Amino acid sequence: MKLGCSTRLLLIIGVPLVVLTIGGLVIGGVVSAIMGREPFAGAPRPEVPPEVIAHLGAIPITNTMITAWLTTIVLVVLFWIATRRMKLVPRGLQNLMEWAVEMLLNFVEGVVGKEKGRRLFPVIATIFLFVFVNAWMGLIPGYSSIVLKETHAGETVLVPLLRPANTDLNVTLALALVSFVFVEYLGIRYQGFFRYVRKFVNLGPLLNGLRQLFTGKLRAGLGGLMMGAIEAFVGFIEALSELVRIVSFTFRLFGNMTAGEILPLLMFFLAPFVVPVFFYSFEMLVGLVQALIFGGLTLAFAAVATTESEHH
Amino acid sequence: MDAEAMKLLGAGLAIGLGGIGPGIGIGILGAGAMNALGRNPEARGPIMMNMIIAIALAEAVAIYAFIVAILLAMVV
Repeated sequence: MKLGCSTRLLLIIGVPLVVLTIGGLVIGGVVSAIMGREPFAGAPRPEVPPEVIAHLGAIPITNTMITAWLTTIVLVVLFWIATRRMKLVPRGLQNLMEWAVEMLLNFVEGVVGKEKGRRLFPVIATIFLFVFVNAWMGLIPGYSSIVLKETHAGETVLVPLLRPANTDLNVTLALALVSFVFVEYLGIRYQGFFRYVRKFVNLGPLLNGLRQLFTGKLRAGLGGLMMGAIEAFVGFIEALSELVRIVSFTFRLFGNMTAGEILPLLMFFLAPFVVPVFFYSFEMLVGLVQALIFGGLTLAFAAVATTESEHH
Repeated sequence: MDAEAMKLLGAGLAIGLGGIGPGIGIGILGAGAMNALGRNPEARGPIMMNMIIAIALAEAVAIYAFIVAILLAMVV
């Protein structure tokens, strides 16, 4: 059997890993609860609303807001450094950034084509980069360990100064609204206002049927009325599905990021060693995939909105 | 049953029942991807990519359930 390394090395790495895993389980939450001991690490106490750090006039500054600003700053500085001394043959950071931008551009152009892709690219790429950098910055060890001591009703509580912005429902709602407005704008821009709105408020056939009914053509009028009602209902459903997107966008990102915050901590509580590492790497994948989904779905909806509906 | 027990029961049921649908969905997705891979092994990259995106969409439902369970068990 081929292992790719010597048996000795395998033993040196493998045995401590197994011991640590089992030992972690023993001092972890479940076994400790059965034995009636204190667990190695406490259970996580999730806070759903973001904590208010300071006040700027009447506006409360929350820790998620600080992170959102930090993400923006990091992105701007990163791209500024990368493009400060541009070379024709890129190296180092410039190379990385060019690779990232090129991947995104290819992704966008692959869905909507070259000409439209260039126009949609900035918004899609911004959404992707914001969500992605935000998620991965939150995974930096020690990120949420920077805490402020605050006194609430005589009790001292530790409030993390930094908390991934997408664990705040307001931020994800804002992103979802940006995506929604962007898609609607593109629909109106590419199809014209009336043509685009007709997709949602389609009363033409219904009125037509009514007119036929009143002018005495009973059979055609009833048929037209029937079809018109169906068309109007389809338009209503269409509008509803458009609005539901905001909710699903908001909660998908919020849920994934909040779970990403809690899950490794929960695993740390249950089995302090080895096991959380897998969840940590899983969260890295989740951050990437969620960014891809947010950008990709916006792109897909924009692609639908910019192509004219065929049966009108 | 007191309120605490109901809360914990609700949390367990939320994630347990909420996991069924996404589980089936991800299973079907994986099976479809394997099928596609068997028929067309060269299209590995795009299949993988689309599969991961679709899985994340299905998984989001489980995440909602997880959040509800966490809220029930720890916050409410």
